[in-house]
Amino acid sequence: MSGIWYYIFTLVFFLFDYFILAMGLNIQYGETGILNFAYIGFVAIGAYVTGAFSLPNSVGTGQQYILGLSLPFPLGLILGGLAACLFAVIVALISLRRLRTDYLAMVLISLSLVLYDVCNNYVPLFNGADGLYNVPEPFAGVLHLTTNSFIPFFAGVTGAIAVVMWLVMGRVTRSPLGRTLRAIRDDDVVAAALGKDVFRNQLKSMLIGSFYAGIGGGLIMEFSGSFNPTAWLPGETFVVFAVIIVGGVGNNIGMLMGSLVVETLLVHLPAFLPDIPGHPGLIEYFDAVIIGVLLMVMLWFRPQGIVPERLRRAATFGVRDDLGAEANLPPDELSALAPSPVVQPGTLQARSATNE
Amino acid sequence: MQIFWQSVGFGFVTASVLAISAVGLSLQFGITNYINFAYGDFMALGAFFTYVLNSEVFHLNIWIALVVGSLAMGVFAVLINHVIFSPFARRFKKTFYVLIVTFGLSLILLNLEYSIWGADVRFFQMPLAKVMHIGPLLLTRYQLIVMAIAVALMLGVHAMLKTTRLGKSMRAMADNTTLAMTSGIDTRAITTITWFLSGTLAGVSGTVLGITEGNLTPASGELFLFVIFAAVIVGGVGSIYGAMAGALLIGLATEISAAFINPAYKLDTAFVILICTLLLRPSGLFARPGKA
Repeated sequence: MSGIWYYIFTLVFFLFDYFILAMGLNIQYGETGILNFAYIGFVAIGAYVTGAFSLPNSVGTGQQYILGLSLPFPLGLILGGLAACLFAVIVALISLRRLRTDYLAMVLISLSLVLYDVCNNYVPLFNGADGLYNVPEPFAGVLHLTTNSFIPFFAGVTGAIAVVMWLVMGRVTRSPLGRTLRAIRDDDVVAAALGKDVFRNQLKSMLIGSFYAGIGGGLIMEFSGSFNPTAWLPGETFVVFAVIIVGGVGNNIGMLMGSLVVETLLVHLPAFLPDIPGHPGLIEYFDAVIIGVLLMVMLWFRPQGIVPERLRRAATFGVRDDLGAEANLPPDELSALAPSPVVQPGTLQARSATNE
Repeated sequence: MQIFWQSVGFGFVTASVLAISAVGLSLQFGITNYINFAYGDFMALGAFFTYVLNSEVFHLNIWIALVVGSLAMGVFAVLINHVIFSPFARRFKKTFYVLIVTFGLSLILLNLEYSIWGADVRFFQMPLAKVMHIGPLLLTRYQLIVMAIAVALMLGVHAMLKTTRLGKSMRAMADNTTLAMTSGIDTRAITTITWFLSGTLAGVSGTVLGITEGNLTPASGELFLFVIFAAVIVGGVGSIYGAMAGALLIGLATEISAAFINPAYKLDTAFVILICTLLLRPSGLFARPGKA
C-alpha cells in the first residue's frame, strides 16, 4: 500500500479518536458546565493503563512499568477507561463539591501539571520520560496483519467504537440524566432547588466523560504502540476544547465536525508538511497559534459552533423530548430577543434558551 | 543541618519570586473576577523582553533591562485586555468563556515565544555572583537583590492599596464593582491600571525567576503557574495579603521538602499543600467573604 493511504488512514483514526474524546469533554463541559482543564490527564491515564495491561511483564523489555499482564485487546482498553473513571472519582471527591468554576479550573490545571510531572519523573510507574512503547498491535497476531494493513484496519475498528459510543452518548444526553445535567449547567441553584443532587449528577457526568477520555487515550496507545509525556502536555487539553467549541458545544454530531476541522485539518494534516529548513518545529508552533486564534474567532462570531445545540422541549407525558428546533443565535442574543421562549400547551421547557 | 539552612535560603528566594507573581495575579483577579490562565506566559514573555534588552540588542545592565522589560510587559497586558479579554468579558456574562479565552491565549503566547526564540535554554548576561554568608544562610548577591525587590514591591503594593486614592478605588472595585461605579469611580480606568500593574509584576517575576533559576525557556512560566495557583488558593483567592502569606508558605515548603525528598518533585509539594488546604479550609487562610 502506498504511503498516501497510510497517511489518510492515520487521519481517519484521529478523526474518530478525537470524536470520542470530544464527546467525553462535551458531557463534562458542554452538558454539565464543569470546566475540566485536566482532561488530557484522564486521556493519559487511559493510554498508560491500557498500555501497561496489554504489554507483557516488564522484565527483559528494557522498559519499567507496573502491571504487564498481556491482556488481549478489548480488556486492556476497557480497564484503561475504568482507571480514568477511578481517577475522576478521587478528583471529584476532593475538589468538585467545594469549589466554584474558576477555582475548580485552577485546581484541575494544577493537577494536570502535577500528574505530568510525576509520570515524567517517576520511572517505575510508566517508564518516565521515555513513555511506553512496543505495545502489541491488537489482532495483529490473529489476523496476520502487517504494519501497513494494521493502520486501515484499526482506523475502522476505532470508527466502529466511535459510532457505538456516539449512540450511547445520544441516549445519555436525551435521558432524564442529560436533562438534569443541562439544568445544572444553566443554573445549579435552580436545579438544586428542584431537588436535584448537584454533586451526584456532576460526579456522574465526570465519570461518563472520563470513561470516554480513557477509551480515547487507550485507542491512541493501541494505534501507535507508544505513548510518552510529550503527547499530553497540559496545552493538549485546549485542543479538545477547541474541537468542541468549533463543532458546537452541547451537540454530539458537532463533535465530529469539530474533530474534522481542528484535529484532522489543523493538527494532523500540517504534521505531514516538510519542515522549514533551519526552523525545526516552526509549523507545529504556528499550528497551535492558528488553533488558538480560530477558537477566539469562533467564540466571538459563532459561539454556538458549526452545529448548534438543539433547543430541547420535553413533553409533560414523555412522548417526545426533542422537537428539533434549533437555536441559531448566540445564547446571549437569544435571551435578549426572547426572555421567555414560547411554551406550547402541554409542554414543559426542559432548558431555558439562555446560557445564563 | 547545612543542607537544611541551605534550603531555607532557597525557600526565601522562591517565596520572593512567588510573592511578586501571586500578588500580580491576585490584583487582577480581585478587579476583573476571572483568573488569567495566560499569566505564566505573561511571565515568560516579560522575561524574554528583558532578555532581548539584556542580551540580544542593547546589552543593557540586567537590572535596567528588568525595569524596562517589565514596564513593556505591563503595556502589553493593557493591550491584551483592550483587544481580547475585556470585549469577551463584557459580551459573555458566564466566566466560562473568558476563562477559555485566557487558556487559549496562553497556548498562543507560548507558541509565539517558541517560534521566535526556539526551544533552546537561554541565559541572561550577568557577571558571576559571589556567595555571601548571612547568619546560617548561603546566598548569592543576585538572590539577595531578588529578595530585596520582592520586599520593596510588597511594601509598595501595601502602601498603594492603603494610602492612595487609586488603591482605595481598587479595593472598592474588588469588593463591589457596581457600587464602586455608582460612587463615581472610573472602573474602566482602574481596570486598565490594574492590568498594567499585573503585567508589570508578571514581567518582574518572570525575569527574577529566570535570574534565580539561571535559565529561561518559553515554558518556564507555564510550569511555575500551578505553584502560583497553590500560593493564591492557600492564601485565599482574591486576598493580596493572603497571596503574600501563601507565597511565603509555599516557597519555604517546596524548597525545604527538596532537602528530604527527590528534588524533581519539590514543586509537587505545593500541590499536596493545596489539596490539604482544600480539604481542611477550602476558602484559604485569609478568606474574603463572597469570593470562594
